[in-house]
Amino acid sequence: MSRSRSASAWLYVLPALILFTLLVIVPIIWSLSFSVFKWNGIGAKVFIGIGNYVRMWNDGLFRRAFVNNLIFAGLGTVVQVVLGMGMAILLMSITRFRDFVKVAYFIPCVISSVAICQIFAKLFALNPEGVFNALLGAAGLAAWKGAPLSDPHLALVIVTLVDAYKFCAIYMVIYFSAFMGIDAQLLEAAELDGANWWQRYVHVRFPMIRTVFLISLVVLISGTLKGFDVSYILTGGGPGASSELVSTYMYKTIFNSLNFGYGSAIAVFLAVECLLAVAIMQRLFRSSGQERM
Amino acid sequence: MRWSRILRAIAYLAVGIMLVIQLYPIVWVAAASLKTPEELSNGAPFAMPAGFYIGNYIGAFSQSNLLRYLLNSTVVAVLTIIITIGLGAPAAYAIEKLRFPGAKLVLGYFLLGIMIPIFVTLLPMFQMFNAAGLRNTYWALVLPQVAFGLPLCIYLYTGFMRQVPDALLEAATIDGAGDLRIFLTIVFPLCGNVTVTIVTLSFLSVWNEFVFANTFMTAASMKTLPIGLNDFVGAYGKTDFGLTYAAIMVSILPTLILYFFLNKRVISGVAAGATK
Repeated sequence: MSRSRSASAWLYVLPALILFTLLVIVPIIWSLSFSVFKWNGIGAKVFIGIGNYVRMWNDGLFRRAFVNNLIFAGLGTVVQVVLGMGMAILLMSITRFRDFVKVAYFIPCVISSVAICQIFAKLFALNPEGVFNALLGAAGLAAWKGAPLSDPHLALVIVTLVDAYKFCAIYMVIYFSAFMGIDAQLLEAAELDGANWWQRYVHVRFPMIRTVFLISLVVLISGTLKGFDVSYILTGGGPGASSELVSTYMYKTIFNSLNFGYGSAIAVFLAVECLLAVAIMQRLFRSSGQERM
Repeated sequence: MRWSRILRAIAYLAVGIMLVIQLYPIVWVAAASLKTPEELSNGAPFAMPAGFYIGNYIGAFSQSNLLRYLLNSTVVAVLTIIITIGLGAPAAYAIEKLRFPGAKLVLGYFLLGIMIPIFVTLLPMFQMFNAAGLRNTYWALVLPQVAFGLPLCIYLYTGFMRQVPDALLEAATIDGAGDLRIFLTIVFPLCGNVTVTIVTLSFLSVWNEFVFANTFMTAASMKTLPIGLNDFVGAYGKTDFGLTYAAIMVSILPTLILYFFLNKRVISGVAAGATK
């Protein structure tokens, strides 16, 4: 390729490259540099080195948010894998209405988290009585009625489940299309060998979609580690800090407490945590893949 | 054979139960939005509405900025989609078809963006937009969403362009077409399916976006539907429930209508985008 042609090629890339650099890469470096200062945005910046990172370690609220986030990620991943796989297998096992069912199952994924959260806030409400409490009453369990979103023991679990409800159909679509991509001859051969329905899943279908499954785990875990919307909108991280996540705690630290330095350190922690989680999982999956070969 | 019929009946039953679980919250809010104030305060929460009462919708539009929010969301979505594709498609073309030195590195650099949580960019962006006077303008939502949308856009375009045979482009070059003309008249039109996928995926993510809008749009007149809805529920959610349900429906109807027509594209796009 001639030199002039390569120069003109840069003209096609440059606008995207500049915007991306300015609004994604530069802010990261900016956040990194903020994170070593004590600064409220107005006064002077005081350099404190790793002081903000040490503070995180000693901050009970941050630790609570971190542990909550691990529960949110762990439970959320399991629930979404189970629901997504369950729906994919259900789709595989019917022949009529398959497209209709798939499209209908996917609807929660296209609706905003604000709308989903507001709907669930009403469903769980005590006053006026939402569907959830009305059902408890109808089932003769009136003593169990309550406001679960204001219950510090339940808030995190509900936030996790509502988030899982919103996103689980994505994994249904991923698993279903992977199942559909399996060579039909393999399944016919297994059937001729006398493999029943369950054996065809365990010995043919699950092993065949192994890679897609592992990728879905990476997507799920890195996604739930940076979860924000449902916690922030549905419970505001509360009651107390019972459903606080790392990202919501960071957001409040910066935009409510105006603690720019400390908040930036938490943001950097979150980014590093997500990148590390992906890197670790990729390494694990790669080595476990080699063992099998 | 009898066993298989029983199993099939169980499968359809399970499919039906799951259908109820996935759809119930939306059906419930749609039903509740059509109830009269009388029904809402005295009826059971899971009862169906007796009639087709549209008073809540009239109230929601007249007592809130819903129309303004709709307009804001639409402008932000249209600008974001056009600019993302306008910047992303040529970049992908240069990376995949002009193959300038360093093209692979540039692609890798863009793909980094897929892994980065938006939260680490939030405060610096806030300060940039504040300094540039962009807060509470459409650009405060368009620019960050274009920047974070480019990686997936470029990824999907390069993936498709890789399969466009070079011989086709060489033939056009021999006929005297320049790079720009080849891009505009051959490569971009060939990418039609990818473009539609990117339009639908961007629309959904921009229409439903919460964090940027909640951070950069503080003026009531500039709010998008999600944060406008959140404010509205904050103000009316404890007094007029009918209005709240109607407002929720207004915010989700545009996506449901789009989804009704483009569901195949949305689903295949999500599958392609999520496992990248």
